[in-house]
Amino acid sequence: MVDVEFRRDRIIIRYKGKKWDWILEPRYWRNTFIWTAVLIIVPIIFYFFYPALLNTLISANLYAAIAIPLALMTLGTGRINFGPNFFIGVGGYTAALLSVAYKWGPLLTFPLAILLTVVSALIFSPLVIIARGLYYVLLTLLLPLVFLEITFIYSDTFKGDVGLAGIKLLVDTGDVKLNFLLIAYISLFLMLLYLLIVNKTIKSRYGLIMAAINDDEEVAHGIGVNINLVKIISFVSAAAMIGVIGWFYAHYFGTFAGITYLPLTFLVKILLVIFIGGRAQVFGCVAGGYFIAFLEMILIGTLGDIQPFIFPLILFILLFALPEGLFGLYRKRRYREYLPTLHVRR
Amino acid sequence: MGEVLQVVIVYMLILGSIYLLIALGFSIICGVLRIFHLGYAYLFTLTVYLTWMFMKELGLGLVPSILGMIGLQFLISYFIYAGIIKRYLEREEIILTGLLLFSIIVEQLVNYKYPIQAGVYLNTTILEGSLEIGPAVISKQLLLASGIAVLLTFLFVLFFLKTKIGLAIRAISQDIYSSRIVGINVEALYTFTMFLVLVPVIVGTLLVAPVWAIDPTMGSMYLTTAILVSILGGLGNIKGTIMASYLIGVTHSIVSFIIGEPRFMNLSALILVMIILMVRPQGMAKSEALW
Repeated sequence: MVDVEFRRDRIIIRYKGKKWDWILEPRYWRNTFIWTAVLIIVPIIFYFFYPALLNTLISANLYAAIAIPLALMTLGTGRINFGPNFFIGVGGYTAALLSVAYKWGPLLTFPLAILLTVVSALIFSPLVIIARGLYYVLLTLLLPLVFLEITFIYSDTFKGDVGLAGIKLLVDTGDVKLNFLLIAYISLFLMLLYLLIVNKTIKSRYGLIMAAINDDEEVAHGIGVNINLVKIISFVSAAAMIGVIGWFYAHYFGTFAGITYLPLTFLVKILLVIFIGGRAQVFGCVAGGYFIAFLEMILIGTLGDIQPFIFPLILFILLFALPEGLFGLYRKRRYREYLPTLHVRR
Repeated sequence: MGEVLQVVIVYMLILGSIYLLIALGFSIICGVLRIFHLGYAYLFTLTVYLTWMFMKELGLGLVPSILGMIGLQFLISYFIYAGIIKRYLEREEIILTGLLLFSIIVEQLVNYKYPIQAGVYLNTTILEGSLEIGPAVISKQLLLASGIAVLLTFLFVLFFLKTKIGLAIRAISQDIYSSRIVGINVEALYTFTMFLVLVPVIVGTLLVAPVWAIDPTMGSMYLTTAILVSILGGLGNIKGTIMASYLIGVTHSIVSFIIGEPRFMNLSALILVMIILMVRPQGMAKSEALW
């Protein structure tokens, strides 16, 4: 006989001498599994009841998928990169140019998009060694802006003002609604994969080394950490992950324009996914990504013309109203976990 | 070749002086408050569009509109300092993102109210026509702007070197804790510095407004220049800022007139900054103090 007992903080199920506890108190929940299940179910629900929202789901997943490696990069280099969208540009343009010129599909452009992102990250990786905190912030901030300028200079190639069109689509079943559902799942898979990789990395011994660099580079060097190597690996690997999102954008929309991803407005959105999500905590990036994508969608639907300045205004208020971000509200209950504080060094 | 060289030198001096005017305020904030004012772009945008707003919406003349704009700029600067910078001085990522966001809000608001089709134009021309200096043909207004830039920088340097307030600000830029110990009112001087940086920005923007393009995103271009100059010169050092302004000026001139590709101006400046940073990670100046 199954015996179910309801307590204040948990439900206990007993059966033939065995006992299962289902903890109700939020701090003991296995949140990762519950939320993953929710994220997997939501696209199906939207597919049948609110298909227009699938696009927002995809945006949310992609915002989170950019912010998660950016959090890793921040941790591993001990510096906040203010130009992650540069790598979106590299990945996206590589995929777009190859697809337009040679009619290559997403599977063929994928390795080259990663390769070129890695090469460009390696070229700029000395920045993590030579440029100190604030210098690094400014130099990385300039990278996407200069890239944007290049897309306008070589407008014949990059179509800087209107973007490259005619890129082969990521999924083409002939049914638009189904396409969106499949892309929503692919973006979700990508985001969850990044979450898994980054979370495992941060919790590994390598993550501890990265945290040491983030806390104090000199001390980390003093205890025998090859800080330059760790910083370059963190920078390049995270850049490659961000470049994949550029590839995704190109094949998802079938068009790619630098003016969409390289200006400050897109960059600020990504930074806010991190800060409003929860100060670069990887799980916070997911909360931040969904929050910002849905907020933007609601404001576009309701405010019309005034949305472009009301949206940043709300984010501006939230930046200061939620100093520890959305994930910080949850973290208050799990204060025992060690999570390194991210900061811009002077 | 001799003629091209003359053109390069003339434009180096003019562009360098104007870049100095653009970057001086940014550099002073870096030197004194030890933060990067990533919202610096909105100062340029507001200078033009607030003046225009007073002229169009209230029907005021140019001078009263400029005075109104200055008053509002001071007020906004005070709130930016008291509301963001002062409260989050130890959390730089919040300051940087917050200031950047504020700049975007201003840009979008201006774009909503006065999009590029609105044809905003400020007739702040003091000298009309152009002047031939050897083979170079220069707008007299730009020539005037560069002269004022040099004069203003000289006055700023004099202020920092010869006055008691300047001395106190330099002390803060060197060591904030020691400054407090000797009785300097750091908070008041921070606010004063926020006001001080408005001077070169407002003067510079009004002088170049009739010659250079005006649109709601104009601030980003000036911010890019200010960032490049500031990094190259060394954080917040005025000597370094002066040297870096002219170095970037000469780079832009060479790219435009010798290589013949003016489109690569910013790219060339960025490459120059990176090369110099590899050799001197702290920039061209010897120290990060103001002078």
